[in-house]
Amino acid sequence: MRQLPWLSLIIFWPLVAACVMPALRGDAAACRRFAVLAALGELALCALIAGLFAAGSFGPELVEDAAWIPSFGIRYSLSLDGLSLIFVVLTALIGLCCMLASRHDDRERPALYHGLILASLTTVQGIFLASDVFLFALFWEAQLIPVFFLIGVFGHGDKLRVAMKFFLFSATGGLLMFLAVIALGVLSANAPDGPNFALEALTRLDIPQNVGRWLFAAFVLSFAIKIPLVPVHMWLPDAHTEAPTAGSLILAGLLLKTGGYALIRFALPLFPEAAHAFAPALTVLGLVGLFYASAVAVAQEDVKRLIAYSSIGHMGLAVAAMVSGSRLALGGAVLLMVSHALTSGGLFSLAGAIGERLGSRRFDILGGIWNKAPHFGAAFLFCVLASAALPGLSGFVGEAMIVFGLFKVNVLAAGLAVAGMAATLVYLLRLARDVLYGPPRSAVPFPDLDAREAVLLSLLAVGIVWLGLFPGPVLGLAAEPLNAIAARVWPGL
Amino acid sequence: MSAFVVAYFPHLCLAFGGLLVLCLSMARSVPAGFYPATAALFAALPGLWAVAGPQGGSPIACFYAGLLSVIALATIALLARYAERRGFAGDALYGLLLWSALGMLLLADADDWIMLAVGLELASLCLYALIAARLDDNLGTEAALKYFLPGAMALAVLLFGMALIYAASGSMEIAASLAAPGPLTAAGLALVLVGVGFKLSLAPVHLWTPDVYQGAPAPVAAFLSSGSKAAAAAALLHVCSEVSPEARELLWPALAVGAGLTMAVGNLGAVAQASVKRLLAYSSIAQMGYILMAAMAVNDGGGEAALFYLAAFALMDLAAFGAVGALSAQIGDRDDIAAYRGLGYVHPWRAGVLAIGLASLAGLPPTAGFVGKFLVFGAALSAGYVGLAAFGIITAVVGVFYALRLLAALYMRESLIAHPAAVYAAGPAGTLALGVMAAGLVGLGLFPQTLLGAIAALFGGA
Repeated sequence: MRQLPWLSLIIFWPLVAACVMPALRGDAAACRRFAVLAALGELALCALIAGLFAAGSFGPELVEDAAWIPSFGIRYSLSLDGLSLIFVVLTALIGLCCMLASRHDDRERPALYHGLILASLTTVQGIFLASDVFLFALFWEAQLIPVFFLIGVFGHGDKLRVAMKFFLFSATGGLLMFLAVIALGVLSANAPDGPNFALEALTRLDIPQNVGRWLFAAFVLSFAIKIPLVPVHMWLPDAHTEAPTAGSLILAGLLLKTGGYALIRFALPLFPEAAHAFAPALTVLGLVGLFYASAVAVAQEDVKRLIAYSSIGHMGLAVAAMVSGSRLALGGAVLLMVSHALTSGGLFSLAGAIGERLGSRRFDILGGIWNKAPHFGAAFLFCVLASAALPGLSGFVGEAMIVFGLFKVNVLAAGLAVAGMAATLVYLLRLARDVLYGPPRSAVPFPDLDAREAVLLSLLAVGIVWLGLFPGPVLGLAAEPLNAIAARVWPGL
Repeated sequence: MSAFVVAYFPHLCLAFGGLLVLCLSMARSVPAGFYPATAALFAALPGLWAVAGPQGGSPIACFYAGLLSVIALATIALLARYAERRGFAGDALYGLLLWSALGMLLLADADDWIMLAVGLELASLCLYALIAARLDDNLGTEAALKYFLPGAMALAVLLFGMALIYAASGSMEIAASLAAPGPLTAAGLALVLVGVGFKLSLAPVHLWTPDVYQGAPAPVAAFLSSGSKAAAAAALLHVCSEVSPEARELLWPALAVGAGLTMAVGNLGAVAQASVKRLLAYSSIAQMGYILMAAMAVNDGGGEAALFYLAAFALMDLAAFGAVGALSAQIGDRDDIAAYRGLGYVHPWRAGVLAIGLASLAGLPPTAGFVGKFLVFGAALSAGYVGLAAFGIITAVVGVFYALRLLAALYMRESLIAHPAAVYAAGPAGTLALGVMAAGLVGLGLFPQTLLGAIAALFGGA
């Protein structure tokens, strides 16, 4: 089983499918069918690899390694451990959801639309699998391109400005990180094994303290923009609001996760000293984000915008957990990110469905949907409750782990986190109330969920319930890599 | 004798090819396609010579013979149908092109100040004429004049600098004369750098660039931007690598300011442009800032980085200007950014080449520009220019912005009614050239090792 290039297959299968899409451009139905099949193929491939991984066929890590640019020690090296596996499977799942969620945005140029989604899956899988820092930086920059076109061509409203804003924010961080990556290469040139970009080798590099802090700052700025951490979150509400439904799914479900994942995988182990030095600042920013996002979310008039602000809050909490120095909270952060991908994925698809049915997502035309469309209402309430971390659903486990973890290392931060979570309830309950209950404020008929939407939401709901009731397997997968990272960053833990 | 012929085979090919094309016009009836075909044949020979790995050719001559061969071939391919449709094809066009390439080659591998000046002037004189090739186009004539007058001034500065260096050292050989200590050498060198910087359009002597690029026919602008910049950059690298430590101490701070200024002026200047060719011109100014940064780090791996970047840059500008030419149907070129709206869907292939060229200019993966930036900034960091590199990266963000502006026009805005989308057929050669440039940009981005290995092998693995 080892000889197949499994990891390259995961990464490049969607891109190959994307390259086939133009051949189908005349026929929207064929485009959709092919895109769903391609995404199903990717999910099946990931499930197969997950099964083989769980059965121990690959050992603790599946690795692919080949010389790429030997003069600079750059290698095409990919590795899959439990932590990457979680996000790889998540990416494939969200990819399938994107295809299922797209029935209205892709009317013009369906081939381009689905091709861009598939291409963005390739870049995101690349980020989760790269273990060469240069390769990682390449995928990191590349992921902006398909999403830029997805928003700019298929978005709504002032889509061009929003797409530019998204790209420029991300590219600013990305280029500074790119410079830091180059600097790491230059520093490694003096090391015994010559210039090198392997993550493993770079973590053993002896970096002077102040240089390490600058490089960490560059890495974290790039990740913070993607996560997004207050105050570099400004691109997110606009991008989410104007993006097509699949674009929102990719942004919330995948791009935000690449930021969190990269923080754990790259920034922390590469610069442990700087991570300690900056941890208080990052914790403060994360918790401020939690409160700030809640406060702003309450005031929103657009369903999608409200959900976008909720992302900022949840991810802020995850960041506070990641740098807290508690192994429990670190595991909770991973779980919270997966949970957030599923719940916000569900909420964004439902918000998209509202927009498709009513032509607007403003609260002043909503209300009373439960009576008009009970299945829709149930699904919406389910996602809202999962987002509010109701026990038994995915959010609860992650948030509980984070709070317990934080209490052990920093009582004040833990108290604020709990208060912040309580604050999120305010806007989530308002969301449920204004959308589902009360008198309907629009005479437009509101059809209930169709089969396609039901499949999409069931997929997500199964994930949410499963994570809520049996988080063990997922935590077990992540345990080994997280232990290794925690042992490197907080040796005394 | 034979060793001489082997060593100077590319120069002889270009010189003889240019003469032959001019002589052909004296024949009674020459089919129109005969000039470009002959010119292409002679333009290809230096490349073949470089690939064959000749004995006696200097590494830099080898590299530049290959690079200029590619540039000249691509230009001829892009120019053939373009010039024919607009009625300025002829013997002089192709003859001058080959002679200009000869000048660039001489400039690139000159070991002697006189040779450097001769090469520079031969390349430029032919370019002045090429820019004005469309006789009925006032913009082109104006551009040629705007290039010629400051160019003559720059030449005078360059020659005066050379004279000072000669006065201080008593040698016309570049390496030997620069080794001579003293303030006179440093002063001369400063003037030489100003002269070369003019050709490279380094700020603050870059002002001619946007006007000239806008006025020149698009394929000629491609040639001007890729070929003459590459050759002048070779001269710059050569001079920088030979500078004595004390002159370095004196001049490098000024060069650092120049590099930072060039990157800032180029990238910021491009933002405000409504004309695509001016935008590309400003972008090429910014790229030369990166080259200057690499040239300052020439002894810390900057040389190889700069050569790779120059090759990548040549592909980018040939692709971008070539696509601009191929997307035009007017007497001039399609120049207004608004006129590009929605073209990505009407002419997907040509617009796609332009998009790849822009992505590469902005340094986005997976293109040659991304790897090129990696190399150039890596060289700057290893030479210790941390502040300059950080400044350069920040200006590069601005570079991303204007590339996105044009990309957004191509794919995100549709107003074809106001600007008809009709274009001339690019012809098989032009289409092929555009395809090769785009493939080369992506290929160099994904597999840069081939070129990097070749450069390293030429320079003895250093």
